[in-house]
Formats: sequence, structure tokens, C-alpha cells
Amino acid sequence: MLGLLGQQGSDFAHKVDYAHDVVTILSVICTVAIVGVMLYFAVIYRQRDGQDHDTPRIEGNSTLEIIWTVFPTLVCIWVAWLGYDSFVALRTPPANAMEINVTGRKWAWDFTYKNGKKTTGELVVPVDEPVKLVMTAKDVLHSFFVPVMRTKADVIPGRYTYEWFRPIQTGDFQVFCTEYCGNEHSRMLARLKVLPKAEFERWLADDSEARKLASLKPSDRGKELYVSKQCVTCHSLDGSQRVGPSWLKIFGKEGKLADGTAYKVDENYIRESILQPQAKVVQGYPAMGMPSYQGQLSDDDITGLIEFMKTIDGTQKVEVAPALPKKSAASTAGMTPADRGKALVNDTSNLCATCHSIDGSAMVGPSFKGLYGRKEKLADGTEVTVDEAYIKESIYKPMAKIVQGYGPVMPAMYEGKLSEQDVADITEYLKTLK
Amino acid sequence: MAAHASAAVNEELNYLNWQKGIWSWLTSTDHKRICFLYLYAILFFFLAGGVAALLVRTELAFAGPTIITDPHTYNVLFTMHGVFMIFLFVVPGIPATLGNFLIPLMIGAKDVAFPRLNLFSWYVYMIGAAIGAVAMFNPIDTGWTFYAPYSTTTGTSVSLMVFAAFVLGFSSILTGLDFIVTIHQLRAPGMTWMRLPVFVWASYATAVIQTVATPVVGMTLLLIIAERWFGAGIFDPSKGGDPVLMEHLFWFYSHPVVYIMVLPAFGVVGEIIPVFSRKPLFGYKMVVVSSMAIAAVGFIVWAHHMFVAGISDFSAKFFSIVTFLVAIPTAIKVFNWVSTMYKGSISFKTPMLYAMAFVFLFMVAGTTGIYLAMLGVDVYYHDTYFVVAHFHYTIQGGAVIGLIAALHFWFPKMTGKMYNETVSKCAFAALFFGFNLTFIPQFMLGMDGMPRRYYDYPAQYQTLHTISTIGAYLNGFGYTFALANLLWTALFGKVKAPRNPYNSHSLEWQTQSPPIHENFAEIPVVTDEPYNYGTPTGRGH
Repeated sequence: MLGLLGQQGSDFAHKVDYAHDVVTILSVICTVAIVGVMLYFAVIYRQRDGQDHDTPRIEGNSTLEIIWTVFPTLVCIWVAWLGYDSFVALRTPPANAMEINVTGRKWAWDFTYKNGKKTTGELVVPVDEPVKLVMTAKDVLHSFFVPVMRTKADVIPGRYTYEWFRPIQTGDFQVFCTEYCGNEHSRMLARLKVLPKAEFERWLADDSEARKLASLKPSDRGKELYVSKQCVTCHSLDGSQRVGPSWLKIFGKEGKLADGTAYKVDENYIRESILQPQAKVVQGYPAMGMPSYQGQLSDDDITGLIEFMKTIDGTQKVEVAPALPKKSAASTAGMTPADRGKALVNDTSNLCATCHSIDGSAMVGPSFKGLYGRKEKLADGTEVTVDEAYIKESIYKPMAKIVQGYGPVMPAMYEGKLSEQDVADITEYLKTLK
Repeated sequence: MAAHASAAVNEELNYLNWQKGIWSWLTSTDHKRICFLYLYAILFFFLAGGVAALLVRTELAFAGPTIITDPHTYNVLFTMHGVFMIFLFVVPGIPATLGNFLIPLMIGAKDVAFPRLNLFSWYVYMIGAAIGAVAMFNPIDTGWTFYAPYSTTTGTSVSLMVFAAFVLGFSSILTGLDFIVTIHQLRAPGMTWMRLPVFVWASYATAVIQTVATPVVGMTLLLIIAERWFGAGIFDPSKGGDPVLMEHLFWFYSHPVVYIMVLPAFGVVGEIIPVFSRKPLFGYKMVVVSSMAIAAVGFIVWAHHMFVAGISDFSAKFFSIVTFLVAIPTAIKVFNWVSTMYKGSISFKTPMLYAMAFVFLFMVAGTTGIYLAMLGVDVYYHDTYFVVAHFHYTIQGGAVIGLIAALHFWFPKMTGKMYNETVSKCAFAALFFGFNLTFIPQFMLGMDGMPRRYYDYPAQYQTLHTISTIGAYLNGFGYTFALANLLWTALFGKVKAPRNPYNSHSLEWQTQSPPIHENFAEIPVVTDEPYNYGTPTGRGH
């Protein structure tokens, strides 16, 4: 109606503008009425000739006071509802929205598309398609404000925020950083370019092959990390049970934590679980199961892992390259049995060290230090001495005899992987760990 | 000569002349003298903050670098403006000056409950101000909001400045505590709670907020120092901290602090309008209740500063709804002030002009606040010039205009002299017109999406910025003119003020002007309401 906020670029802009128009009209009416009455009183009840005239001692009027308490309350409820309604539209992206990752840093905006295409300072989107910006910051607070779209959200280091819009017309529009971020704050601008759909597709596909070589798209990066950072050890992709929850359909999954509270897997949940694994442990999983990846994974790495998880939605089978290749027998020839055992324990493809320490500290499984010859109490109350036979059984059939206080979490993956000789060598190595 | 000499000899003793010398001022525990100690200190920082504001406005008059050649200096200046105006001027503002002067006089007491604590709080303020001044050697560039992680990583002397604010907080707490005890314990016989002038009620509500909310910001500021010195990690995401937590803690104080600033101004307007309308304050009880309601609800609305800051949508909805609860008591106050003028006998002395201007400015402040309480609209306006303008209508149009109105209204009592009405009205006109010329264009800039804290801006915004800058100069001239008039009168004025120049009913006017050291020759007995103007049979006109 009034058009005070200028051009409307998104399909919900009219809702915001309607709320804005209503409150503008009400504000002008109220201000003019109250100030008008005040000035009217000032004129007609003014002192004349510098002489006070007789005035009535009116101390109040309950009816009037009730009216002017109730009336503003009703008006407030109405405008609060208008604000609420438009906010819900602003905060509810459709499920099919195209996601673009946005990173704010001093003092530029980086945009990353699903196919790996990256831009800086220019956000290109198709018209009439919902776009969801998944945003985080590298250094300090920033805020992503697209006036024409009527939306804005702070961009925060260490967490993800989002905003979305569906552009209703093509053109170039201004983007501002609206959270003060230092010297170049006022130059931390970006351009929003809304293109016709076909043109956008051409733009997106353009030279993306060459760029892929330079940098993988986030989900592929995550897939690489899944293997190289050993997530694969504890998290399967096919729903099979390992130490940690499987990643099959994990994004968006809901359930209960060990303390009974509900959780829902979203970007922030995953980020927290990677950096502070103990903060929220899902019911049925070991409390100290996962080491922190603080300092080992960059923000882009985490974003990559999240994107990778989003791809494991069960619609298609996700295959990963096998873990590190097995060491050849030749490289261990000529070693003492204990050294061979040590090499096997330390071989990352065998993953022993993931759960068993050699310094006595408790991890997911019992420490190897002083293990050999020790008397252990089992979960069923019986006692067992750790000897050759027990070690062999525990490696080949981990669920057979579980020591009290530990979970049934060791994968039964060593039969066929480790030979009898391997097991004997490992036992020799364990004997050296007093 | 002889006549003059005899006049001097016969001059009555009052709090200003009963002891002489600078030392008698610096060691005085008289609440009226402490009022002046605070007044000179805060007006100094008003001047410093005002100069910073004019430099900022000059830079913004035209697109591109104007007089400030680098953004860092600009960032320092707007931070200086904010820190000086908030922590050193407006927060102590009315409570520490007129609150100090008036509360004992209005309730019929000889002084506040803890006079030495009162003086001590001024020294605490001065120590805080001195630390802040030292911090100016490497001035901070964080904005007055000190948001992490910028404030925990920037190279300027943030630690020193937030420590200054921490110390200033204690001054505020001590003053608030003193007032609460004074109002509870030292009311004269017959001065029941429902006979307290609304200024005392407003000061009481303010004092409660000061003592309850200020410790939270003190804690927050220390956490910033811990973050900078020891890498505590509370607000640092790389250590599992959260910058949004800092915003919560900061606004938990800094929203109620808005009411510390503006509630006393409500009280001032509630005193001025009845006197110059010769009418009782309309709906006294509702005005009192609404002051206390604003103070109470003010504590649970803080996150309305954070609708786009990454809080959950549920929190945003909650804080929007409770924010509307503040609008209602505020609206009630405006209705009551205007109704007080009905069938009055209205005279337009300078304080009344300020009070009427306040009603208009506060209507604008309040209605534009509604936009910002509305979730969907606030997402657009957050961190734009619309917020800057709204905030200045509230704090300058509310708190500062309230202070200037109060200084004019009680000036005869404070100094025993009358200022020149014509001069003060001219100053009022310049100030009022200049203020609106500064900030109405800023509302329009906000509508166009202009973000705040920008050193430079796209050329499309230039016209409105230029107008705003012109307004700022006129506004600055108006304040200088108004305060210079008062200062000149205080020092050199010849026209003596009578005991009760406005024929007011409240207690502070019943003692001599200026009052004696212990206010009243004997403690008065109160038998009457504070606003018993008019007659039961009066018809008006």
C-alpha cells in the first residue's frame, strides 16, 4: 500500500510490508490524535492575561482509564500477530529449497554451491526458486541483510544460522553486512544477482569441471574425510551397528540422549558432536566413545562432513573407497613377534588404538597396559585371567566375554583379517606392556 | 556600595554558601552539593560525547571520506559517543543529579540515608571516568555494545574501558541502594507511599533496576577481560564458548538500563505538567503502577535486541510478546499526562514547553518501538538507521529532554536565581527543531535499508544524511545555548528566585531557595496530596 520499504523482491515481502503499513497507519493516527488533543487543550485552556483561572480538581476517571488500558492492549495483540505471522513466513523455508553455504569473514562474503562452485561477493540465484542460505562466520559476528528480500540473520562463528527467500523478479540487488565487524564493515557488501532459471543453470554448470579439480564440492570433501579421518571406524553408511550410530539417514534424525532429553540432528548438532563428542551422547552408546576432532577439522571440513551426511539419505547406496591398504607382509618380515604385534596394533587399518590405550587410560575398551595376566571381572560376574586363549577369543569373538564396565561395542571384524600368527604376535606385544 | 555590603551581610545562609572553598565541595556529604558534583561531571561527558557525535555526523554528511580519512578513527568516534553518552552521561543522568537533589527534599528528609556512601559513589564514578579517560590513549573501536568475539580480539584497550564501565556500575549500584533506603526510611511524618510525588516513585523504580541489573553487566564485563587476558573461552567458539551468550548477558542489563535512563524523565514530566496546568496529576495511582510495571516487565524483554542474532524462533516469539507488555503501561502514562491538561489553567513556561515536547517525542519513540517489537518487521529494521533513530528518540527525546526540562524547572530552587525566559525558549526551539531534523531523516534511511555503524554508504543515501547532519548541528547549538544560559545565570544572574515561583504544592518548594544545609528548619508534617491543585467546585476556563 504505502511502499515505504521500497521494492519487494521476495514472495513474503508483501507480508512484512503489510504489517509495516498497518503499524504505520496506526502510529500516525495515534500520534496525531494524542499530540492534537494536547495542543487543543494547550490552546483552549491556556492561561489568559497571566492570571490563573479556577480549575476543577479531577484526580482520575476509572472508566476512561480502563478504556485506554484495554484499547492499546487489543491493538498490541493485533500488531503482535502481524509481526508473528510475517516472521513465521521468514523462518520457514520449503523443503525443496536450494541450499547455498555462506561464509562471512573480515570482510567478504563467500558462497559455495552444492556442485562445488564458489563465488565471493556475488550471490547468484534463480528466480522463482526458494533459496536457503546456510551461514557461518570465520572470525567475528556478521549479519547478512538483503533489504529487497526483507530478510536478515546474524552470521556467527561456531554455529550455523539460516535465512531463505524466493525471488520474484530478476535483477541485481544490494546485500549489506549489518553487524559491526571492524574497519571495513561498511565495505563488506555483496551483490545478489537473480537470473532466469535457464540462465542460472548455465551459470552454475559453467566451468564447474575446472573448479572441481581445484576444490571438491563439500559433500565429496566430506566423503574423503569420512575415510581419512576414520569416521568409518565407528559409523557405518549402511545402517549396520558399530561403536557409534550409523550415518544412514542420520541428518534430521530424532531421538533421545543418554540423559533422556530429545535431540534432532541438524548442522549445529553435528558440529557440536564432532568438536565436543561428550556434550550430547545418544542413548545406548558409550559416554566416552568418541575423541574430539577439535583442531583436526577445519570449518570447511565440518561443513563437508555435514553435506556428506545429507547425501546418505537412503535413496541410493553410498560407496566409499576401502580404508588404508593393508601393510604387505614383506614389510614386517624379520621383525620380532612383539614388534610385529606392535605394528599390527598401531596399523590404522586394524583400528585397535582407536579404543584401546597403551598408557593405562580408559577409552572405549580396556587399556592394553598391564592387561596380560590381569584378573578381570566379566559382565556376568565371573572372573577370568587374561591369557593367550582369552585374547584370541576376544579378538575373534568380541561379544563372548565382556569385561564389567565396558559396552558390547567392539566390531567382530578380525576373523579373516588377522591370522592366528597375527594374534599370537599381538599377544607377545601385550606381554611387553607392563 | 554600602547598600551592597549590607545586602551581603544579610544574605541568608544556604547550602551553597554556608561553607566555602573547593575543598568544602569535594568533601561535602550534602545531597544537594553532590548533585552539582555529578552535574558538572556528566555535562562534561555530554559535551565530549556530543563533539564525537558531531564529528561522526560531519563525516557522514557526504558519501565517501569527508573529514575522517580512515574507518578506524570513525569507529573509535562512534564508540566514544556511545560509551560517553551511555555510561558517563545518561545512566547517572537524572538519578545522580536531580534524584540526589530532589528525593530528600520531596520526602521531607534532611539528607539521603547514607550521605557518605553518596559522596563515595561520586568518587567511584570519577575513578571510573578517569580509567575511561586513560583508555582513550588507545581508544576502543567495539561500539558501546562490546559484542564478542570482536571485543575479545580487537587490538584496542577494551580491557581498560570495560573495567571503567565495571567501576561506573558500582557507582550506579551505590546510588540506587542509597535511594531505596532513603525512600523507605526517611519519609517525613504523613508522607505516605501514595503521597509520594511521581518523581520519587520513578526514582524508586529506577533504583531497583540499578541495584538488580547492574551486577549482571559487571559480571559480563569481567568475563570479557577474562577472555582477553586468560583466553577463558566463555565467548570463544573455538573453545566451546558462544558469542551469543555475551549478547544475552549484555542485554539482560542493557535493556533494563533503558528504563534507568527514561523512567526518571517520566517522573519529571509527571511533576511539571500538573504545576503548569494547575490540575492534579490525572490517575496518579495508574502512573505509579505503570512505573513499577515497566521496571518489572523490563527485566524479561532483553532478547528483543536479538531477534536475528541466532536465538531460537521460539525465544524470539516469546520475547516479542512480552515486549508488547511494556507498550501498554507506557501508553497509559502518555494518556494521563495529556488528560492532566484538561480544563487546566495552562502557562507556557520553559519547563512546560519541554514537557509537551517530551510527550510528542515520546509518542514517536513509543510508536517506532512497536515496529521493532513486531518480529517480521524487526528482522528488516534490526541494525539499520531506523533503530538508531528510535533509540535517540527514546534516550535523547526522552531521558535527555527530561533532564534539560528538570534543570529548567528546579533551577530556581537549586541556585536561587531565575533565568531569562526568552533566551531559554529560543534555545528550546533550536534544540527541538534540530533534534527532529536530525532523526526523522534517519527513520527514512532505515526504511531504505541503510545499516548502522557504516563509515561510508552508497550514494543513494546522501541527501538524507546531509539533512540529518544539518539537524545535528542545530541540535548541538540548541543544547549549548540552553545550558550556557543556565550556567551564565547560575554564575552571574541577578534575578533572585522566590521560595515557590510556580506556586507548587510539593515539599521541595516549601523551603527557601536555595535550601539551607539540612533542607528544612524543622521536619515538615505532610497532610496533603502532592498535586492538590484546583478546587472541588472549579469549572475551568
